Amino acid sequence: MDKKVAIAGFRMAAAPDLETTRERLVFDLSKGLLDDLGIDRDAVDNFVLCSNDFMDGRTISHVFLGPPAGGYMKDQTKVEMDGLNAMIYATMGIISGQYDVTMVLAMSLTGSQASPYLYTDYSLDPTYDRQLKLLNELSAAALEAKSYLAANGYSEELLDVVASQNLGNAAANPGQARRIDGVSREKVKASPYYYEPLRELHCYPPTDGGCAMILVSERKAKELTDKPVWVLGMGRSTDTYFLGDRDLSTSLSAAQAAERAYAMAGIKDPRGEVALAEIMSLFAHQEPLLAESMGLLEKGKAAAAYESGETAVSGKMPLNPSGGPLGGHPLCASGLIRAAEAARQLRGEGGDNQVKKDGVALVHGQDGVCAQQSAVVILGT
Amino acid sequence: MEEIKDTFLHPAVPLDFQNNYRVGAYMQRYLDGFKEKKILGAKCSQCGRVVVPPRKYCGDCNLVMEEFVELPQEGTLENFTVGHVVLEKGQLNRAEAPYVIGMVKLDGASNALLARLQVAPADARTGMKVKAVWQDQVEGEYSDLDCFEPA
Amino acid sequence: MRNVGIVGIGYTPVFVSKRKDVSIAEMISEAVDAGLKNTGLKPEDIDAYVFGNMATFEGVNMPHLWATEYMHARGKPIMRFATGGTIGMAAFHGAYYHVASGMADIAMAVTYEKHSEGDAQVGLMGIITPEVMAMLAAGIDVTGQSGMGAIGGGSAGGISFQASSYLHRSGASIEHIDAMAALERRNAAKNPYAHLKDPEATAEKIAQTPMVSWPIRFGHICPTTDGATVCIVASEEKAAKIADKVAWVLGVANCASDATTANLIESQITDPAEQLPAIIASKKACERAGIEDPKKEIDYVEIYNGFAHQTLMYLEKVGMCEVGEAHKLLEAGELEINGRCPVNASGGVVSTNSIGTSALNRVTECALQVMGQAGERQVEKEVHKAMAHGWGGLMQYCTITILGDKPKKL
Repeated sequence: MDKKVAIAGFRMAAAPDLETTRERLVFDLSKGLLDDLGIDRDAVDNFVLCSNDFMDGRTISHVFLGPPAGGYMKDQTKVEMDGLNAMIYATMGIISGQYDVTMVLAMSLTGSQASPYLYTDYSLDPTYDRQLKLLNELSAAALEAKSYLAANGYSEELLDVVASQNLGNAAANPGQARRIDGVSREKVKASPYYYEPLRELHCYPPTDGGCAMILVSERKAKELTDKPVWVLGMGRSTDTYFLGDRDLSTSLSAAQAAERAYAMAGIKDPRGEVALAEIMSLFAHQEPLLAESMGLLEKGKAAAAYESGETAVSGKMPLNPSGGPLGGHPLCASGLIRAAEAARQLRGEGGDNQVKKDGVALVHGQDGVCAQQSAVVILGT
Repeated sequence: MEEIKDTFLHPAVPLDFQNNYRVGAYMQRYLDGFKEKKILGAKCSQCGRVVVPPRKYCGDCNLVMEEFVELPQEGTLENFTVGHVVLEKGQLNRAEAPYVIGMVKLDGASNALLARLQVAPADARTGMKVKAVWQDQVEGEYSDLDCFEPA
Repeated sequence: MRNVGIVGIGYTPVFVSKRKDVSIAEMISEAVDAGLKNTGLKPEDIDAYVFGNMATFEGVNMPHLWATEYMHARGKPIMRFATGGTIGMAAFHGAYYHVASGMADIAMAVTYEKHSEGDAQVGLMGIITPEVMAMLAAGIDVTGQSGMGAIGGGSAGGISFQASSYLHRSGASIEHIDAMAALERRNAAKNPYAHLKDPEATAEKIAQTPMVSWPIRFGHICPTTDGATVCIVASEEKAAKIADKVAWVLGVANCASDATTANLIESQITDPAEQLPAIIASKKACERAGIEDPKKEIDYVEIYNGFAHQTLMYLEKVGMCEVGEAHKLLEAGELEINGRCPVNASGGVVSTNSIGTSALNRVTECALQVMGQAGERQVEKEVHKAMAHGWGGLMQYCTITILGDKPKKL
């Protein structure tokens, strides 16, 4: 894809409990971003909101989120899945020629909910899985982890290695919600099991947060930013819902989504051309699993890659230099935050976690149990 | 400007959502089979795949599955996890004792069934043969098929 | 910008109160298969799916996940939208942008609602859960008949404010609402996919139905319906190969105001019959479609009318007639199937409301009229250009789609 759509700017927020209202969070993110770019809401011609009515606890929640986002009397819509899809939809609107400046705003207060996991329960087949009460987000992830480790001959220690690397990166990223100093593999291993082999520190922390991003056409990019980050490729795919039908040791949706995004971006050798990846790995095993599926790590050699430092910030294939969703996962915003973190890296604003490599960045987002749906975006300068 | 202090409400939502989900013809056949302690699957006429519980479409061929087949009550434990927590109404709590949830591939089936396993966590092994355990009284409900145990 | 055309649609065989014979996913599959059959397309021809419904009404979050195989969408991108009553058209706009941007050549919008499995009024009450909480906490009566409490009647409670304001401003009377409802129920009798049909409906019959919340009578209100609709759109190049008749998308737009539109939140008094978003969205859509005067250029309109007064009100808002003129067109018989300004030949939402589908059905019914495939409900005049309208949320959101029988000059 040509350089048609650029990220002009972004704002993120994440904390275990932001102690704010949904409306104020949305306003702060949107207004902050408009101020960053030195524009007001009149300069924005389309608003793509992203939240979930089950997580927000009210029907048609965007009724209340549009105005604080600045969308009063503007073109507006709401994507109800992970925020990376909202970004992709906003990009489509600009490529089509209809819009020049689009605000994408994804948020949820997942961390301060009494029942953060209810969201996934409600997404299960109500005629079967919800009646049996065996399947949930965590038990499904555990089965996926077990299948992945067994198929590749990895030990459970890989999960500790992945988690400690992610939590280490998160500790150095002021934007993350779960920042624990000096998380060793031993400390991860000492955390209690949820469902074997997954322990507490292998799993994402429910997080309050959001992300606002302004996407612009090529024409507007010159006006609004000195450091445009271009959308070079996009791809999405969906696997079967039925867990018992899937090969859980790999991710079909991520493989297909990445393949489509690579084709659009003209990437032939992902391992050579991708400088860093921000992956929506909600559980420790998902980072290597998804990276292998997307061709970022060699199949069956993930354990060696982590041990050799290949996946570290300074490595050959840095994965989640931001700390990833193990450092904070506000539902709906999570994938969009991955995109913003990748853009931050490409703009050279990565701070202590700055990756010093040239190339493009891969961003991954997911929906459903065990990444039933994946979205991939390729960003570059 | 004076700092505005937010008031936070943490109510239990009093709205009572009543749902009454129709299971549809395929799941109804499955549940009817339970009345005779039978496990039914649906077979694709094109690729021959058998899925359990039965469902309308073969996702591989995008065709309607019209044939129902009875499956054996025995199968292989393909994958399992030991639960140390329970999720009830979206809230995470420690389980009273660890328990096993497994994915059982019945002999002759193409996909795996998620089931509770009546086995000590330390004794669960991937690849072990297991068999269905029924409630004494069956009524055509999901709970009729109680769990699986080592064969 | 690429031209995008509607090449086919698919409905469930019936739209009724209770589909007891199928699950949600199975019901969705009926419309998907009908859409494929109508176009002769195979599942592998569909590049992308766009999905919409109001998840809280049935209590199933992101039902597209469960329904993936029932849509033949394995290995395909699916994007889910949720915007309230307008969701059907928001999903259609989603499918439109998939093709207009070149991200897909053929896309299918899939929408449904299976109201019999949930409680739409409880779901709608959920819009204002936090406000109800705040009022309860402050000791305010939420069951009363003023302000917030009025919405205790579900959407009919809130909408009655809109209807009374509309009558006051337009000079129409409650008898006009009766006549409008009767016209639509008669039209519905010609539509095999309508829910409430009455070929003998008259204003007098509607006037005998009980008053729910003045001026809204029971006979003015939509039913809750089980049903699913799909709409398939394609690029100009593909469309020519798929269909003889194509309904081309000339312009799409939407517009949102804020929650105070419903006159119910935080004591802000605004006029729920003002409907600025409908005025702005229709102007934008006309501009994008190259239409200068909708009164002259648009031949057919489908209005999203959960309540019968809205047909009249929105005809004025979207520019099909002057304010205060709609009820006169109704009196003159111009809104009938054989009239000069035919509207809702399908019977409208007031006759059939499976919410997820309702705004999409406005588009698909316009498409059928443009393609000349509306059967018994085909209007007498030739339809070259048609406008579909949707509203939703707290009466604060409006969507518009304009279709034509020729592609737009790019």
